[in-house]
Amino acid sequence: MKTLIVIPAFNEAENLKHLIPQLLDKVSHDVIVVNDASTDQTAEVVADFGLKCLTLPLQLGAWGATQTGIRYAEKSGFGQVITMDADGQHLPQEVNSLMDLYENTQTNVVIGTFPSRLSYLKKLAWNFFKLLTHIKIEDLTSGFRLYDKKAIKVLSSRQASMLDYQDVGVLLLLLGAGLTIKEVPVKMHDRSDGKSRVFSSWLVVLKYMVQTTTLCIANMGKRTAK
Amino acid sequence: MTNITILIIGALLSISILYLVRKGKMHGPYATWWLLVALCAIVLSIFPKIIDWAAAQVGITYPPTLLLVLSVSLILIRMLTMDMALTKKERKIRRLTQKMAMLEEGQNNQQDKSD
Repeated sequence: MKTLIVIPAFNEAENLKHLIPQLLDKVSHDVIVVNDASTDQTAEVVADFGLKCLTLPLQLGAWGATQTGIRYAEKSGFGQVITMDADGQHLPQEVNSLMDLYENTQTNVVIGTFPSRLSYLKKLAWNFFKLLTHIKIEDLTSGFRLYDKKAIKVLSSRQASMLDYQDVGVLLLLLGAGLTIKEVPVKMHDRSDGKSRVFSSWLVVLKYMVQTTTLCIANMGKRTAK
Repeated sequence: MTNITILIIGALLSISILYLVRKGKMHGPYATWWLLVALCAIVLSIFPKIIDWAAAQVGITYPPTLLLVLSVSLILIRMLTMDMALTKKERKIRRLTQKMAMLEEGQNNQQDKSD
């Protein structure tokens, strides 16, 4: 089964120039960039490397872009999808760590985590969400993940299109479908430029907290697999 | 006098809705809902005793309370269904956007091959 690496990108032309050569050097999987209505040269940079680029005509946010890649993988018959950020935070050499764990354990989802990157406030927020949902995962927001065929099917669904962030909602959907999630510790690079999309300003944080809390409460009592 | 005012409001509302449908600015279920609202206003303005009778049936001593509670409830329900419709539209737009990106990519591929 072939593996597709999906990289959602919004105005990441500079970062992609560094990331793509490293990635092509380290791994032999197919790579696709989802251009989330960027206003810079993202699409051109990707095309220069001879890679496929899905350009969204409207901006859908990080999860909407990622789901585009997942739907593409489902349509094109890929067996696994690996999602990674375009900003260089996720290291190409760690892709194999995810693949290794997947091949050894046959779990449905592998999440690459880097626990020491968490700030005190993030830990507090996530402990709160874990308390609400009984998700037993260290790093809720890591976008460095591997999804297998079953997970791809679940995440391509119409229901998954209504999610706004690739974290708690996605995990709840996967657990609700009875899929297994495993974590593997990986090295991550500090963001070279640009900030976290989720934790960028207090207003955004507040919106994120309120929306995610609502989602958690609405999903209470649903079946959760260990 | 109040009755006549409400009758005029109901009549104006009906005419406006029919005008909007005629101009293609409102369609199907929305037009039906607003025409029903206009119809209620007209009926109640002609037979205001309906409210007094209904209030007595459910044990409300001051009939206008019933009218206000009912209308606010209906407005809330209407707003809720509007947000549900918006959510549905948002999902369709998202999936359409994704599909368009995928189709566009496939099309570029075909062009490359024929070049």
